[in-house]
Amino acid sequence: MLKTQGLGYWYQDKDQPLFQDINLEFEVGQSCAILGHSGTGKTTFLSLIAGLDKPKEGDILLDDRSLKKIGLTNYRRHDVSIVFQAYNLFTYMSPLNNLLTAMAITGAEHAGDKDFALKTLNDLGISADLATRNVQHLSGGQQQRVAIARTMACDAQLVVADEPTGNLDEDNTKEVIEQFQRIAHDRQKCVIIVTHEPDVADQCDHQYRLENKQFTKLA
Amino acid sequence: MNFFKRAWLNVWAKKGRSVLLILVSSAILMFVLAGLLIRSAAVKATDQAKADVGATVTLSANRQAAFKKMQSSSSSSSKSSRPKMTLTPVKLSDATKIAKLSNISSYNVTSSTSVNAKSYDTVSTSSGLSGGNSGGPGGMKSSTSTGDTQIDGVTSTSLATDFSSKQSKITKGRGITTADKNTNHVVIEKDLASQNNLTVGDTITVKEATGSKDKVKLKIVGIYKASSTSSSSAGPMSTDPANTMYTSYTLANTFKGSKYAGTADSVTFNVSNPAKVSSVKTAGKKLINTSKYALSTDDSSYQTVKASMSNVKSFANKIVWLVAIAGTIILALIVILMIRERRFEIGVLLSLGEARWKIVAQFFTEMLMVIVVAVAIAGAGGKFVGNQLGSQLVSQSATTTQTTSTTGQPGGSGTPGGSGMKGGNGGPGNMGQSTNTKAAKTELDVSVSAVNLAELGGFGLAITFLSIMIASGGILRLEPKKVLIS
Repeated sequence: MLKTQGLGYWYQDKDQPLFQDINLEFEVGQSCAILGHSGTGKTTFLSLIAGLDKPKEGDILLDDRSLKKIGLTNYRRHDVSIVFQAYNLFTYMSPLNNLLTAMAITGAEHAGDKDFALKTLNDLGISADLATRNVQHLSGGQQQRVAIARTMACDAQLVVADEPTGNLDEDNTKEVIEQFQRIAHDRQKCVIIVTHEPDVADQCDHQYRLENKQFTKLA
Repeated sequence: MNFFKRAWLNVWAKKGRSVLLILVSSAILMFVLAGLLIRSAAVKATDQAKADVGATVTLSANRQAAFKKMQSSSSSSSKSSRPKMTLTPVKLSDATKIAKLSNISSYNVTSSTSVNAKSYDTVSTSSGLSGGNSGGPGGMKSSTSTGDTQIDGVTSTSLATDFSSKQSKITKGRGITTADKNTNHVVIEKDLASQNNLTVGDTITVKEATGSKDKVKLKIVGIYKASSTSSSSAGPMSTDPANTMYTSYTLANTFKGSKYAGTADSVTFNVSNPAKVSSVKTAGKKLINTSKYALSTDDSSYQTVKASMSNVKSFANKIVWLVAIAGTIILALIVILMIRERRFEIGVLLSLGEARWKIVAQFFTEMLMVIVVAVAIAGAGGKFVGNQLGSQLVSQSATTTQTTSTTGQPGGSGTPGGSGMKGGNGGPGNMGQSTNTKAAKTELDVSVSAVNLAELGGFGLAITFLSIMIASGGILRLEPKKVLIS
């Protein structure tokens, strides 16, 4: 589904790339964890496959179509959903409006469907009462679940998450990872999670480690 | 249009910030509106001045030509004979021709002389200057009367300068009208009436100062009160102002002698549109013998008001543009700060694939909501600010213009014919007094109209648009990765 072909990235000096000649393949219905120490470039890799930045060399293909042709804005709008460590919700809105806004921007199948948005939130443990409060009144775990619900509501094929459990306790971490697994398996999405926590990575279907500018498949 | 909903949610959720923005925008727009109101009021006042103050064209003897004639005759004659300036009285037939020109709304015939009191006592002044020639330096007297009572013959007292400028007013009975032509009706001054226990309906007797020196009975039809400065015979050699009587010009001509029948000292034509004064003068000159008669114009009232309003209009324009520019800068800075603190939100929107122009449109919509409320507040408060600012401007401007007027225009004080030195009535010499009075009375009618609000809305929209455009440079350059990943 998603392929990287000879992908390379560097900030200033081409002779000191973060990674180079990366050729990976990610499939729908599977979850994949990318592990690595801080500063190895795993978040940069995620920003490339999420369409937030352009690779310095190589290409990324979605269903054999280059992101250059699709256009990054179009790609972000229709094909990919991103979950951040800091949740990145609209702080002046309720969870419900966060979902409705994202659905409207991405032109999701259920755009404008309030009941669908409420059901999606409810499936993730956000009650109708919580759904209409301002998101800032929710706990960290609840906010992350709202972010995941937003991803589910937008119905993108690819879900990428950058340290999604970084701010969560053990129970919430477990619950969030379970949600990602359900998205991958039940909803047949391609889920890619960047994490530095081996416990989180262990729950995913595949694991890659970014080390010495190269990806190594672990499991 | 999802950005409308986002804009509304943001404005509603951040009420404190929205109220603050509304207050800042209201203050800016209030001054813009004040400027717009003053500008439109100044235009209205100038138009109104055309209708109100009017202008006059006066037909009188050509003094300059008469003086030249006198000089040439004195050089050719012997030293023993004293040269004499002869002014030709204005023919009423010429006046009638000019009165038929377009833009002449009315005209007033003026003929002055003096008679001696017979059945009453004149009011004496303490300075003891009465009994002199009634014609002051600025007057147009050609007669050589020496009576103690000044007779001002007019077509109608309402058209006489002293009455039209409200310096004299009828307190009992009525004024002289065109119906009094060829009658012995007279309007006397209040002090003269009370000194002699005279009232409307009484008859007084005067004795002609020249010619046959007949006794003539006059019927009092009205009593007027003259203000202390309002005098048509206050020259150093004149009688007390209270000894001035108004009659029909026909009666004044009778006192002057039979050769003055059908003539006048001067005829003042009121021009309905002051802008047409020059064309009326040009057309009038073609109808008269310019070697004997002269046409002089006086649109100083209009020019004074026009100059005053022009200053106000120019200042109002500057207010509008300065406030608009300053407002744009202030709002742009606020919006830049606002956008900087919302970089994260912009990043999330970009990560969701939102188009940049829609993000800019969201901020524009938010500001538009603020501006709509601000326009309403400014609309309510702008009238008050406009009134305060407008009256301050007008009083300053009128003072400046009056100072210029009194020192630089014929008829102003300090020039022959100005206040305290005026001689005859109706001539160019005594127009300065009424000019200043009218200019001082000019006020701005500051009121908010739909057009003003539309203009204000336009300015508000332009200020919002410009400030958002200036601030949006950051949005257009913003990289979502830099915001979200870092």
